[in-house]
This record gives sequence, structure tokens and C-alpha cells, in this order.
Amino acid sequence: MTDVTMTVNGQTRSASVPPETTLLQLLRENFNLTGAKLGCDVGDCGACTVIVDGQAVNACLMLAGQADGRQVLTIEGLASRDHLHIIQKTFENSGALQCGFCGPGVLMSAKALLDENLDPSTQEIRDALSGNLCRCTGYTKMIEAVQDAARLLREDSRSKLTHARTEVTAP
Amino acid sequence: MKAFGYVSAKDVAHAMALLGEHGAKAKILAGGTDLLVELKHAVHNPEIIVDVSRLRELSDIAIADDGLHIGALATHTDIMNSPIVCGMFPALVEAAHSIGAVQTRNLGTLGGNLITCVPSMDSGPALLALDAAATVASSAGRRRMPLADLFVGPRKTSLKPGDLLVDIVIPKENLDKPAAFEKFGLRKGQALALVNVGAAFFIDKGNFLKPRIALGAVAPTVIRAPKTEGFLDGRKISPEAFAEAGRIAATEAKPISDFRASADYRRDLIAVLVKRALAKALARATAKQKELVA
Repeated sequence: MTDVTMTVNGQTRSASVPPETTLLQLLRENFNLTGAKLGCDVGDCGACTVIVDGQAVNACLMLAGQADGRQVLTIEGLASRDHLHIIQKTFENSGALQCGFCGPGVLMSAKALLDENLDPSTQEIRDALSGNLCRCTGYTKMIEAVQDAARLLREDSRSKLTHARTEVTAP
Repeated sequence: MKAFGYVSAKDVAHAMALLGEHGAKAKILAGGTDLLVELKHAVHNPEIIVDVSRLRELSDIAIADDGLHIGALATHTDIMNSPIVCGMFPALVEAAHSIGAVQTRNLGTLGGNLITCVPSMDSGPALLALDAAATVASSAGRRRMPLADLFVGPRKTSLKPGDLLVDIVIPKENLDKPAAFEKFGLRKGQALALVNVGAAFFIDKGNFLKPRIALGAVAPTVIRAPKTEGFLDGRKISPEAFAEAGRIAATEAKPISDFRASADYRRDLIAVLVKRALAKALARATAKQKELVA
């Protein structure tokens, strides 16, 4: 058995699993986080995309042991109890998901992109989502949703910046 | 996946000890993007997986006295984000960017891409065109070999059980060599190359100096195109020479017909991609010269 301890969506989680367990199996079966989906199981479809130490990865292509000690963020970690994440809201507003199976993976890829780049070009968005297959053919609206989210996050960070400046300059 | 043991190596010495102890019964896990698929399909049935993915000392990208060292564990994303590689070898950035998608580039490593040794590997052609060498560690110590000697056949390298690929070295005399990478796949994202090409040459008074052409996906391994290189060597640089080089290169490959493309189509692609790669390398050299003058 392999003992693993990692931070999942901000919480420390531990498990003892057979070494051949993938990160995806660990998340779904041991931690009951079924947002990341098992699609192709060979790294082509991106339905299992999660963010590990800031980078989007296919959870089906990582052994649980490889994630030991790391920071893992899944779709369950995006929304708070009261609020959807901005990316989730813009996907909802754009109607960017149809059946929704690819959604958790697409959203995590979008999140990883926007964490690094708040002003991505259309080509950069397409590149960031190229590892996520949607068979409802919904990419156009997804790209619009990511652009909207980027704009809102930029405005959000600007207003926070202004707010911080005001606080600093206040007597 | 069938059951196996798993050890995460603490450092290179630990990894070497594990590989020495378990020999052919061990498999090395780097990025895992190929290995996990192979394990799921039971292509390999190792008794133990030696996870080297945490050995950060094997992921450095740095210039040393003998040239540019790219650690075997550098991910494709690491290569794309390296200021050294971006500045010196945009061809390697293009090759890295053409591999899989973001998720696979974040996990997949340069060493893994080379060791998997599929004929269509995108890391191979540009490195071969830059005369790269490979450093391999074993219980007998470290050895350096031309990268071409690593490739034996489809999914077959010259590495023996207990060997660990340490890094790839581009020799210092090639550090400013203009180079380009071209790939043609059936889609822009997540597509294997029907043909990929690496090209590099110095310019000596308007003539080709030390031209190198490497072709992928059109032979059992990535190959050099020696006849094409011989044609170009010392010749005046011109669009006509680029085109003729493409035609010669097409005769040097042994492409197969499969469900992705016919051999004839691949030969046509070689001619086009070699021409484009040479033109791109020239454009890069010209841009760099202007930069230096300015």
C-alpha cells in the first residue's frame, strides 16, 4: 500500500491505497470527489482535469503516490457555499455546457489558464482548452465564457488594487 | 492496472540503487503520460515502479561549459517557459508546444518523450538537427552518446535495465545555430505528427554551413537526411535550394502507409516541411542579425 497525504481543495486528506491507484481513482473513490470524470482514461479527453501545484493535469495519468504532499484543486474547490466561482457563472450565463460531462475538466483548464494569464488571446484560450474534448460541439460558447470570466476577473483585481491603494493612502 | 510496487526516489543515488537492485523488473516513472497508458494496456508488467518525478536536479535547464543542458525531467511546459530555450532555440519551444495538450505538457518530460521512442516523437527532430547528445547514468558511471544512438527502433532504445537518462546536451558550438521545427498533423491540437522536421544551419557568406536535416514519423526512428545535408553543404542559400532539399529529403525516408496517411502523402509532406523549416531557420537568422546590428 502507498500512504498519501495531500491538500485537496484546502483540506488535508490522507489515504492508504494500492500503488496502482491513479489520482483520479483516489479523488473519486477514496475522497468521494466525483466532479473529475473518468472519460477515456488515457489522457486524451481531459474530463479528469484537476490542478496540481498550480498546473492543469490529467488525474487519470498520475499515480496517487505522485500527488503525495502536493496541492490538489478539483471542481469541488471552485465554488464557495454561497457563490459560484466567476468562471462557473460565465459558463452558466453563456450556456457554454450542454450535457456537462466535460464541464469540470474544461473549467479546471480555464481556471489554470486564468490563474497565469488574466488577458488571454482567443488563440491562448483555444490552446488551453485543446486537451478537453466536448462532444456536444460547444467550444465557441466556452471560449466566450472564458473571455467574459477574464474580463470580470481583471475588473475584480483592478477594484481590489484601487481599494488597497485607498487604504494605504488613507490618513 | 495490474499490481506493482512503488517507490518514490529521494535523489539520483537512491534511484540508481533501486534500478540496480531491480534491473529489468523495474520501470522508471517520469511524467507518466506514456507509461501509465502502457501499464493500463498491460504493455509492461513491472514488479516495481521507480518514481523519479521528484528529482528536481534532473529538470534543470542551464548553460554549462560544454553547451546547453536540458534535464531529462524537464517537462514540455518547463521547456516552453525557459527564457534560455526561448531566446536561443525557439525550434525546441515549437516542438514542445506541439506535443499533446496543456495537461500532458505539464506532466510529460523531455526524457520520457525520447525514451518512449515512437517514430513520431516531436522532441526528436530539432534536437537531432542540433547534434544533441544524451547523458546516461548507470552503476558503471555516466556516459555521453549522440542522441541518434539512443534510438534503435519503434519503442526501442539502446538503454539497458539500470540505465537512467540524465540530460540532453546541445554542444556549445551550436548555441547560436539557427534552427526550426515544422510539424504536420491532422489537427492543430493533440495530434501525432504525420511528418515532423528539424532543420539547422550556419550561414557562411551566404552559403549553408554545417546543414542538418532530421525527419520524424517517416522511418522506424527519427532520422537524419545525409544526402540532403550533402546537397546543401556549401551551397548558396536560396528558395530554390530549399525546394530542392525538400525533394531530396523525400527520397531519403521510408514512410509507411497507415490509417493516418499514405506513404506517398507523407513523402509529399517531407518536401514541403523541409522547405518551410529551412526558410524559417533563415528568417530567424536574419532577424537575429538585425537585432545584433540594431
